[in-house]
Amino acid sequence: MSTEDESFHPLGQEWENELETMLDDTEYDSDLGMQMAEDAMRVTKGELSEADFHEKYHDDVMEEFGVDDRPTEEAYEEAQKNAGGFAEMLKSVDSDGEESRRDMMKKMGAGAAFVGLGAFGAAEGGSESQPNVAAAQEGDNTEQDVQWGMAIDLDRCDGCLSCVKACAEENNLDRGVNWMYVLDYEDDSAVDIGQNRLVRPCQHCTDAPCEKVCPTTARHTRDKDGLVLTDYDVCIGCRYCQVACPYGVNYFQWDEPDVSTEDIEAHAHEEMEGEGHEADHMTDDRGRWVDSRAPRGVMSKCTMCPTFQDGLAGEEKVGTTACEDACPPDAIQFGNMFDENSDPQRYADNPARGRALSDIDMTVPSAAALEDDLDGADDDLESVLEASQDLDEEDLRIMKAIEIVSEDFGEGDAEYVEYEQNIIEAFDALEAHGLDLDSEEVLVGLDLADEPDEDEEFDGPSESTAQTVLVNEAGEPESNFQLLQDMGTNPNIIYLGNEPGPQAKQVDGPVAYEDVEADLADGRSVPLADNRKEVLDEMTVGDAGVSL
Amino acid sequence: MSTKTPSEDDILRPMHTFTKKYVLLFVISALALGAFLVGWLYQLQQGMAVTGLSDWGSGGGVTWGLYIGAFIWWVGIAHGGIILSAAVRLLGMDRYMPVARLAEMLTLAGLSAAGFYILVHMGRPDRMVTSVLGHYHITVNNSPLVWDVTVITAYFVLTATYLGLTLRYDIARLRDDLPSFSPNVGGKQLPDLLAPVYNVLTLGYTKAEDKVIDRMVWWVALAIIIMAPLLLHGGVIPWLFAVLPNYPGWFGGIQGPQFLTIALTSAISGVILLSYAFRRAYDWDHIITDDIFRGLLLWLGFFCLLFLWLQLQQLATGSFHPTTDHADATASKFSHPMYVVPMLMVLGVLVYIFAQTIRPSLFSKGRAIAAGLLVLTATLVEKTYFVLSGFWYPSFSIYDGSPGEYFPSVIELLSIVGTIGMVVLFFLVLSKLVPVVELHAVEHLRGDHGHGHDHDHESVDESAEQPEVEA
Repeated sequence: MSTEDESFHPLGQEWENELETMLDDTEYDSDLGMQMAEDAMRVTKGELSEADFHEKYHDDVMEEFGVDDRPTEEAYEEAQKNAGGFAEMLKSVDSDGEESRRDMMKKMGAGAAFVGLGAFGAAEGGSESQPNVAAAQEGDNTEQDVQWGMAIDLDRCDGCLSCVKACAEENNLDRGVNWMYVLDYEDDSAVDIGQNRLVRPCQHCTDAPCEKVCPTTARHTRDKDGLVLTDYDVCIGCRYCQVACPYGVNYFQWDEPDVSTEDIEAHAHEEMEGEGHEADHMTDDRGRWVDSRAPRGVMSKCTMCPTFQDGLAGEEKVGTTACEDACPPDAIQFGNMFDENSDPQRYADNPARGRALSDIDMTVPSAAALEDDLDGADDDLESVLEASQDLDEEDLRIMKAIEIVSEDFGEGDAEYVEYEQNIIEAFDALEAHGLDLDSEEVLVGLDLADEPDEDEEFDGPSESTAQTVLVNEAGEPESNFQLLQDMGTNPNIIYLGNEPGPQAKQVDGPVAYEDVEADLADGRSVPLADNRKEVLDEMTVGDAGVSL
Repeated sequence: MSTKTPSEDDILRPMHTFTKKYVLLFVISALALGAFLVGWLYQLQQGMAVTGLSDWGSGGGVTWGLYIGAFIWWVGIAHGGIILSAAVRLLGMDRYMPVARLAEMLTLAGLSAAGFYILVHMGRPDRMVTSVLGHYHITVNNSPLVWDVTVITAYFVLTATYLGLTLRYDIARLRDDLPSFSPNVGGKQLPDLLAPVYNVLTLGYTKAEDKVIDRMVWWVALAIIIMAPLLLHGGVIPWLFAVLPNYPGWFGGIQGPQFLTIALTSAISGVILLSYAFRRAYDWDHIITDDIFRGLLLWLGFFCLLFLWLQLQQLATGSFHPTTDHADATASKFSHPMYVVPMLMVLGVLVYIFAQTIRPSLFSKGRAIAAGLLVLTATLVEKTYFVLSGFWYPSFSIYDGSPGEYFPSVIELLSIVGTIGMVVLFFLVLSKLVPVVELHAVEHLRGDHGHGHDHDHESVDESAEQPEVEA
């Protein structure tokens, strides 16, 4: 670009002239267009705010076109929330060459075209003098709001294999195909605190090596929610994904699966009868066959239940998985890893709180029961506790401690919020009776606040004391880790508890796989199998029972 | 060395004879291939469960087994074959010219066997075209398996071109003596069915092209020599394993050179066996001379040395102060017969070859054959162990089912016999159609000149007839 070049555009005067010619060809005001394009460039550089830009040209655009299709204030604010906003949108407009640029122009409304002109060249040019424009070219343009994942509390898992069973039933898996797998292990090198147990679904890695090595794109990450899935119609069964996965979560369909697709579909319709769902429990909302057991000759693994996540099994199933639903001790928290208020993120953020919340939910008395109990009782703490049958001092201390350490208590749509709301209802019943839960008397009485000295003012509940109460009650995990983090896979499962060391070795768990039966869609009840090789050996031609 | 003078008749002999032994070998090979094809059909019908494979990890088995081990073995033989032949053409190692075409043909046969193994190994081979080619433009950016398919195809095309080009010279000159096949079907005399094949192969041939073809072949050879360490057995094939950090036995840069040395040892062994078979069958003592065997043995010794040296590197780094996962993987090598025995076999061959260079009287063709057989067996077993040991000793070895159990099923074992049968059939058929020894080679041995070799090299007579090792 020469120094005499007065062009506002990074591609220079020549390009600018071309833009002007293009605009002259239209019935609209070229000067206005060029002016808007120049200012649009300023928006991408951050010299002009988007709101100001909108404001400045609204009248002109209305006059010229009779309509202003550019983002409205509301749309603009919405876009802002989703990161980047309008400027990002402008920057991300990209094209391969002259022809497509022109085609794109035609497709855009003329008003938007004015604006787009500036952005187009900017994204194309990538001139060094436009750092923020050039930077916008890097990285992915697709926005992903959801990344499904889990927090799994290994200390809470009791090894009952309910999740393994639920997964086998949900997906009609063959014996030994343990998409969800739970194992106990011995680990000499580890500290001897907590239990050595691992719950191992697919990690749904953000940088999934299985996907990288797939020669067909059958193994893929779903754009909208980051689930790593296998397209059963594309997979060629080379098994390289199983080889590349460091966790060993893949299970190949070595022979004809036990349960037919007809049975799966019939069962799915039966389950969701009357709810108006058309789900066959195999096809996701993109129309790809990625759910339930694999057909013969292709690879399968834990899917994190896309039929649920797509709302095909009813809205109430969105954000849950079969294993999570089935877990008696609530050790699995499934949710959006991008949302800091999701179940897994909140749980991982403060496991003691999560554990206490889950535990206490069993004992929180209903508002109605409290009202009945408290009828006629005095409204001081002691009398209330005495009158209430289902509420003792310890429970109330924990309930209150949970409230004290929680931000946005009872707000949001995560699963734990229901638990919080149960507590709030109980609190409301107590307050209605006249017990002020934030009073000095109650908080000090529950040991959740320090009693002030005579010349001091009461300074409310103590968050650290509350946290200590929760830790003492529910315990805190040894560590918070991701499995084989050094493999660079960026897994979407956070574990709480003991991390298995390199010398960890599996031992028998409390419940044997063979002792648990899965009820499949074809009506059979089949015991689970731990070691699939033993199941498969039946079909091996010339199996001599020896091993190399 | 024989005093007979090599002639066109010599190299035409396979096409002009038809013996009981030929028929017997053909039948045996066809039965071997047929038996495996039946096994494969059964596998296609029943699913891969008929193999001894299972899922690694909680599945208690290994994901890949003998099929992949044999796949690497065949690719190694194939890639080594083309490197050998390219070295002959590129470096003017005219001594080995009589076996160069055999090496090229071995490459085509080996690649065919390897390609066949890819299909046999897959759960849904019917989707090869739609799923692999359909997404090629995406997957070629990431998947080592797609790189594999790419280079195997590339080398098949390159070798076929190479062979096709050099065949034109021979076919054009020997056309009148090549076989014809005009069967009488139901009293009706059909025209010569082979004539179109030869006509296509020599389409537009003129003597003027000899010089050009010679240069073209030289450049193709150069390409092969350059690409061998980058893309063949020194690159893409080992990357299938070496890029995966979760298997300490596989991961790391040494697999490139290690695979290359294994490929070369097995390919030279294959060429020794093939050459011996043809020499014996068609009295080619004066064409494929003892000297060629001595020379090939020396090269075999050299590559056996490199093979063992690189294995030693891995044993050293895996045992001095290894990480936990590396320690397990290396400890297995010291104790597992599938590793120890092949190493001892290669070491034995190496010792023999060095001994016979010092004391040439130790050389005999029988021993050369034995050396070749030992190395081929050792490389097949070692490659299979290499594949299995990855799954046996992964970094994440917490599972009770790890190391997994595996013993190849009858069908998997049959695949070895079947593919060997397939390769033998390939040679049996091809040797009836075209000369497996180049006319060039005969002309060289006779000391003919003026057939278009314009690059300088030392006197043909000297280089071809002076034995590499004085007996």
